[in-house]
Amino acid sequence: MKLERNSRINQTNKSEIKSKLEEIFGAKNVTDKKHNLLPYSYDATECEPGMPDFICMVENVGQVINVVKYANNKKIPLVPYITGNNIGGLTIPQEGGVVLDFGKKMNQIIHIHESHMYALLEPGVTFGQLYKHLKENYPHLRYCYPFAPPYSGVVGNAILSGMNNLSCIHGSMGDWINGLEVVLYDGSIVRIGSCFMGDKLSVDNWHSRYPMPDLMGLFVNWQGATGIVTKCAVQLWPRKKIERKLLAICKNSAVTAEFIREIGRLEIVDDISAVSVEVAKMALGDPTPVKLDSEPDFPVILPMSAHNEQHYQVKVDLVNQCIKKIEKKYNTTIQCTDFDYFAACIGDDIRVFADLPNVITPLVEYSGLTWVGTYAPPDNLEPLIDETAQVFIKFDIPMFIYMKSMKSSHYAIFRPIIRYKKELEEERMKKATADILEVCLKYGCIPYKTPVWMAKRLQEIIDPNWLKFFKRTKKFMDPNNIFNPGRWGI
Amino acid sequence: MPTDREEHISEKAKEQVEIKPAKLIDISDLHPYNQESLIVSLDHCIKCNTCKYAFGAFTPSCPSGEEFGWEAYWASGRIRLARALLTGKLEWNDEILHPIFACITCGSCQDQCQAVHNDRIVDVIEALRELAVKRLGAPENQKKMEDRVGKDFNPYGDANSTNEELKKKYNLPNNAKVVYFIGCTSNYRQKNLRNATLSVFNKLGIDFTLVDEHCCGSPLIRTGQTDLIPDLMDHNIRVIKEAGAETVVTSCAGCYRTLKKDFTKFGKDLGVRILHTSEFILPRLSVGMLKEMDKKVITYHDPCHLGHHLGFYDIPRQLINFIPNLEFIEMERIREASWCCGAGGGVKIGYPDLAISTAKKRIHEAEETKAEYLVSTCPFCKRNLSDANKKVGNPLKVIDLVEIVDELL
Ligand SMILES: Cc1cc2nc3c(=O)[nH]c(=O)nc-3n(C[C@@H](O)C(O)[C@H](O)COP(=O)(O)OP(=O)(O)OC[C@H]3O[C@@H](n4cnc5c(N)ncnc54)[C@H](O)[C@@H]3O)c2cc1C
Ligand code: SF4
Ligand code: SF4
Repeated sequence: MKLERNSRINQTNKSEIKSKLEEIFGAKNVTDKKHNLLPYSYDATECEPGMPDFICMVENVGQVINVVKYANNKKIPLVPYITGNNIGGLTIPQEGGVVLDFGKKMNQIIHIHESHMYALLEPGVTFGQLYKHLKENYPHLRYCYPFAPPYSGVVGNAILSGMNNLSCIHGSMGDWINGLEVVLYDGSIVRIGSCFMGDKLSVDNWHSRYPMPDLMGLFVNWQGATGIVTKCAVQLWPRKKIERKLLAICKNSAVTAEFIREIGRLEIVDDISAVSVEVAKMALGDPTPVKLDSEPDFPVILPMSAHNEQHYQVKVDLVNQCIKKIEKKYNTTIQCTDFDYFAACIGDDIRVFADLPNVITPLVEYSGLTWVGTYAPPDNLEPLIDETAQVFIKFDIPMFIYMKSMKSSHYAIFRPIIRYKKELEEERMKKATADILEVCLKYGCIPYKTPVWMAKRLQEIIDPNWLKFFKRTKKFMDPNNIFNPGRWGI
Repeated sequence: MPTDREEHISEKAKEQVEIKPAKLIDISDLHPYNQESLIVSLDHCIKCNTCKYAFGAFTPSCPSGEEFGWEAYWASGRIRLARALLTGKLEWNDEILHPIFACITCGSCQDQCQAVHNDRIVDVIEALRELAVKRLGAPENQKKMEDRVGKDFNPYGDANSTNEELKKKYNLPNNAKVVYFIGCTSNYRQKNLRNATLSVFNKLGIDFTLVDEHCCGSPLIRTGQTDLIPDLMDHNIRVIKEAGAETVVTSCAGCYRTLKKDFTKFGKDLGVRILHTSEFILPRLSVGMLKEMDKKVITYHDPCHLGHHLGFYDIPRQLINFIPNLEFIEMERIREASWCCGAGGGVKIGYPDLAISTAKKRIHEAEETKAEYLVSTCPFCKRNLSDANKKVGNPLKVIDLVEIVDELL
């Protein structure tokens, strides 16, 4: 495997660039040593590795402005990085350049606005950090947590439209951004959302992103290819008195898909996370589980919150009524029980799916992890499950499908996952993910946190006018193509 | 911890795609256990970053990563370096030694990592060090430890103490069921701790003896210098056997870990029970034996070799709570979340600034409890925390638990 790609940085001017970077960031925050560059050159996925030329640990906005101006002048690629946990190769430099690491020193929670309910964050803030801060200082407010490890970036996931344990009621994390501060290619700063009032940063005015034209779209999901985010305000919610979870166990794809859609439409659960039954077995210690015919296909976790017992009971009754309808329609049985009770019976290891932020242990089994994570049309979940299952069977990979209802089932998440030994099985997994991608595309799914190879495949089938407009927008936002060049395969 | 690389790949899967294991460099000159550890690095760790925080507490956990910042200085970065060196993606040069050796081998990352390989992370780092030593030689300062152990059987370079004088002084027999394995740091540097242990044993009327112990091997194993290890281990096994011991007690956390874990790792069998002083003393105390402590406030620092490495968290706390009339206030980061003292893994000698800055953070944490005593159960922790305490210049008293017990008994 070759790590160096065709870097835009010419070896002869490397020392000049290094001096300038040291001037901007201070010598101790700049490195070009190969052993320091290497961990940034690849991730857990099958995405091709690529070395950066420099890493800089960023401390403040002034440094970002200066480096962007310099890079734009010299046409040097800048790859923003928080923890590199995106599972899509999104921080692997495609053309060398400078990785800007925000995770280590630009990671302050700037402000929590209690009554407007938002958190104003620097890019490096992690889920664990925000969780601890709210728990200790604002226990009446809550944020949301994905199945991602606690040391993953909140801002990183927001600007990538991540999904998490409040997604059934609130949708994608990209929707909950109130405001952004971004450094544009010429080094100017732009504030998107209500924070645009006044030139001085007021931590009190990040309350909403509407009703202006929503320029947020110029930065969300662009994978750092249009500007560098230096501040981000994310919405918080009031914490309700009761937070519990139900666990429902569904047989076959049709029942599971209907369950996800219908329970989502009730608009009473915070989240719906369905995982293949094999995954529960993995969490309980079996790395290569086999599902028995007698076993159900999908356990589904339903985090719920309520103002009081009565409120909670009404919600549970509504869930049960919905289940009865599905049981009747499909002539099936859906076991639904209190999650805590289930965990007490089966083993606490299963709690990793419920007590977030946490580490979903099956995801960290080996040295490789990849997925075809997609936003999916809810009506197509059945064929997606069935046909993806065939790929898992073909490659003899333990079934690992993860699904969610998003925003009351307006859309869904369909994410088949593969864990593997990186230095042994990469080729096999590349083939398997390529096959899974085809199934997903066939049923109208759109891969999120899109790796370059998937983006290239996507380009072959999408509206060419969209692609033209997309490229023009990129050119407008980044005329010298310095921001994470190569992303989205353009 | 499975190390059979193809064990989970079925024949059916192999029919789909040819399985091509990465070509590895030759590591056959490494100790077999270390070879196995390097293979672990190939097939485990997705770099999920979980080990950067204390799990569940979300407080910083890795002293080396916090100090240097670059990914290569955290556990996952080191695993990646191991992988890259093994697969030939990274060539050797002297600078690689920094991320490899600037790790305290505190094992905090092991407590935080939730993956199946978690108990092998320090093994990987130590194996990587053996590989580095074999290919480039040990860094200069760490090499001194091996030279001194080779010559005088201790890493401090003092003339070897056979412990005969101590035996005479304390009137100890040649044979006894219990051997007190002093450990080099207590025997050559933190002598108060050694003397307190001897005094406590005497006061408790223990039938014990000392042996002509050689370095347990800990500083060399931690720094990948394994050539002398079999001889050191064989010698210690022999003298302990000759003393007729059934139990070996040590007040050094590093020796404790080595005697308990590393002997087996290197295929050696001590064949005796190994106890830390705190666990040896505790059941021998009864109510009324210890004087009161006048409401003094104390806090406890978990030595990594006891805590992160062996999950030994409760007994020292039980012993502290047995002391009458003291106020025991815990620091913010304790037990699995505890922060290292900064001394281990060859860092005290190789990266003294890292050692001191790590210890200073612990001292500040102790100060926040308003404790008068910062207590530990390891001479090396005592030494480094004392050094940092002096630099910070505050009135905290850094002391070992056995010294307190000796004063009160
Ligand atoms: C085991 C595991 C499970 C996961 N499960 C989930 C899940 O259930 N749901 C979910 O939503 N996600 C999940 N994720 C992914 C997830 O955690 C993230 O995508 C994430 O937090 C973003 O990663 P990051 O903060 O490390 O950002 P990075 O990976 O460092 O960066 C992400 C992208 O943002 C860009 N970027 C970084 N900083 C800036 C900046 N300042 N300005 C502009 N662009 C920037 C980068 O260039 C890159 O394109 C999981 C990840 C792992 C490892
Ligand atoms: S060592 Fe464990 S916790 Fe750390 S990055 Fe690797 S898998 Fe994650
Ligand atoms: S052993 Fe300690 S210093 Fe070394 S990587 Fe692990 S946590 Fe960091």
